Amino acid sequence: MKLHIADYLIIIVYFAFVITVGFVIKRKIKSSNDFLSSGRNIPLWITSLAFISANLGAQEVLGMVASGAKYGIMTVHFYWVGAIFAMVFLAVFMMPFYYGSKARSVPEYLFMRFDEKTRALNAVTFAVMTVFSSGISLFALAKLLEVILHWDFDVSIWLAAGIVMIYTFLGGLTSAVYNEVLQFFLIVLGLSPLVVVALHDAGGWSNIKAQLEPQLTHAWKYMGKADDNPMGINFMSLIFGLGFVMSFGYWCTDFLVVQRAMIARNMNDAQRTPVVAAIPKMLMPLIVVLPGVVAIALMQPALQSKGFAIPTAANGQLDYTMTLPSLIAHYYPSGLLGVGITALIASFMSGMAGNVTAFNSVFTYDIYQSYFVKNRSDKHYLWVGKFITIAGVLLSIITAYVAKSFNNINDFLQLVFSFVNGPLFATFLLGMFWKRTTGHGAFCGLLAGTAAAALTHGLTIAEGKGGWIAPMFEIKSGMGQAFIVASVSWIANFFTTIIVSLFTKPKPEAALKGLVYSLTVKSTYKEEKWYKRVAPIGIILLIITILLNLIFF
Amino acid sequence: MLNRLTQLSFTIGLFFTIVSVILLTGYFISDALSSLLNLYAGITFLLFGLLMMLIKGKAQIK
Repeated sequence: MKLHIADYLIIIVYFAFVITVGFVIKRKIKSSNDFLSSGRNIPLWITSLAFISANLGAQEVLGMVASGAKYGIMTVHFYWVGAIFAMVFLAVFMMPFYYGSKARSVPEYLFMRFDEKTRALNAVTFAVMTVFSSGISLFALAKLLEVILHWDFDVSIWLAAGIVMIYTFLGGLTSAVYNEVLQFFLIVLGLSPLVVVALHDAGGWSNIKAQLEPQLTHAWKYMGKADDNPMGINFMSLIFGLGFVMSFGYWCTDFLVVQRAMIARNMNDAQRTPVVAAIPKMLMPLIVVLPGVVAIALMQPALQSKGFAIPTAANGQLDYTMTLPSLIAHYYPSGLLGVGITALIASFMSGMAGNVTAFNSVFTYDIYQSYFVKNRSDKHYLWVGKFITIAGVLLSIITAYVAKSFNNINDFLQLVFSFVNGPLFATFLLGMFWKRTTGHGAFCGLLAGTAAAALTHGLTIAEGKGGWIAPMFEIKSGMGQAFIVASVSWIANFFTTIIVSLFTKPKPEAALKGLVYSLTVKSTYKEEKWYKRVAPIGIILLIITILLNLIFF
Repeated sequence: MLNRLTQLSFTIGLFFTIVSVILLTGYFISDALSSLLNLYAGITFLLFGLLMMLIKGKAQIK
């Protein structure tokens, strides 16, 4: 792939804009709260788009296109089974506790609801995970640019990290959020022409359906038996593992995304953030799943004359990760190619910035201020937040180089993340809806869930991964294995938390007001019109989601 | 100008307007960029960019 001067110009314009945003926002940063929490002063449309953009990093974009090519239309389950239901649940049931408790972070909510050790466990694991995620994102960007544009790996790492450091150091969370929204439009508008052109070239959806095996073009029809579909899982595993455990665990408890709703101007906006975000999220499969399905259709014998092929990896198998870059290279002329490459760079950088800003909030509030230096001036914590931003970027760079040296570290780290994240939703569910849940119960439940996840992974094997204790059970796909690991870890956490809670002393009810559903006065917005209330919009979204599932059944 | 840039819709509009100018100029003056895809994308980006800046303008009038 060779870039024209116009392509470089577009990339330079993007870099100039994100840095300018940092300088402009800097003028508004007066306190640690402004820097780390945006002063809870961001309009609804920005928090909503930032909410989904925080999840729209390049690993998501490239990964979903790759899954579209590998598993077909079943990939939409991540959206129409997973994300939408979880986002509506977050908006209606969980946001009132996050926002109403005035917690500045998810770990701080855990401290208020449970105790210090539960907060510490969550804060430390989250801080480590975010900085590693950021590093992996950086590594993936540099690797991609090295492969498709032959750019120098070191230059890509330092350039991308340097730009992220400048705008996050200057404008903190607000700057990251603003750039996430810019990135959202860049991805949607930058990749939409690709979908249109590739779909047209493949002869439209009806011809794609005619070319591909039916398992790749039906979302539910072949989910009755695990062996009948490319993911190798049945509908029960999908609904519980992905639809409930993984999606609710991610969308309802991951501070990286929840933080975007917590910076809204008021409770109503905070609750509406996930439901407004769910509207574009529902349509995202058009941009990130459909191209993968089109790509695999273009490789069928009847369409081979179109000249498109997904590259092969060293082992001779299709390198699905390269599906999107190869589509961009195949269809985009110079000019639009620059837009496509910029969209990819933007999503990598935005993913990194999101992680860095979540890391500096949690580190400053939940680790530094809680355990090391208490009761200092606000200016002190502002500068600590800024220093931690630089430290977070530097740690990301180190992680990126470690990832380069150790080939399997990405898989290993992603695995560890899933062990920690999988069970987390059980802790929040019990904590918010069962006042009897204790801090000891939550802490033991998290440890038991993580241990159960590691054990399940050690006893199952899929696509050559896992089975490091004894490969007792074989699962068809790595994705199916991830669903099962998450399900087992969630169940282990859920029951361990209940059992330990029953044998330990709960907090007095007075201390749980505003933190537990049964002890909290419910917000009412009767003065608002129906379309400004969370529950009616949520119900409409769920109905549309069910209809989409039926259409692509 | 700096005050306007603090309004995100204006910033996004300005960005896409500049990108559209690059695409449209390239389409008319360079053979390498003379693809219809650049023309259509350029016009779409220009309309979107102007719309976003206009939204900002209307909001200011209010």
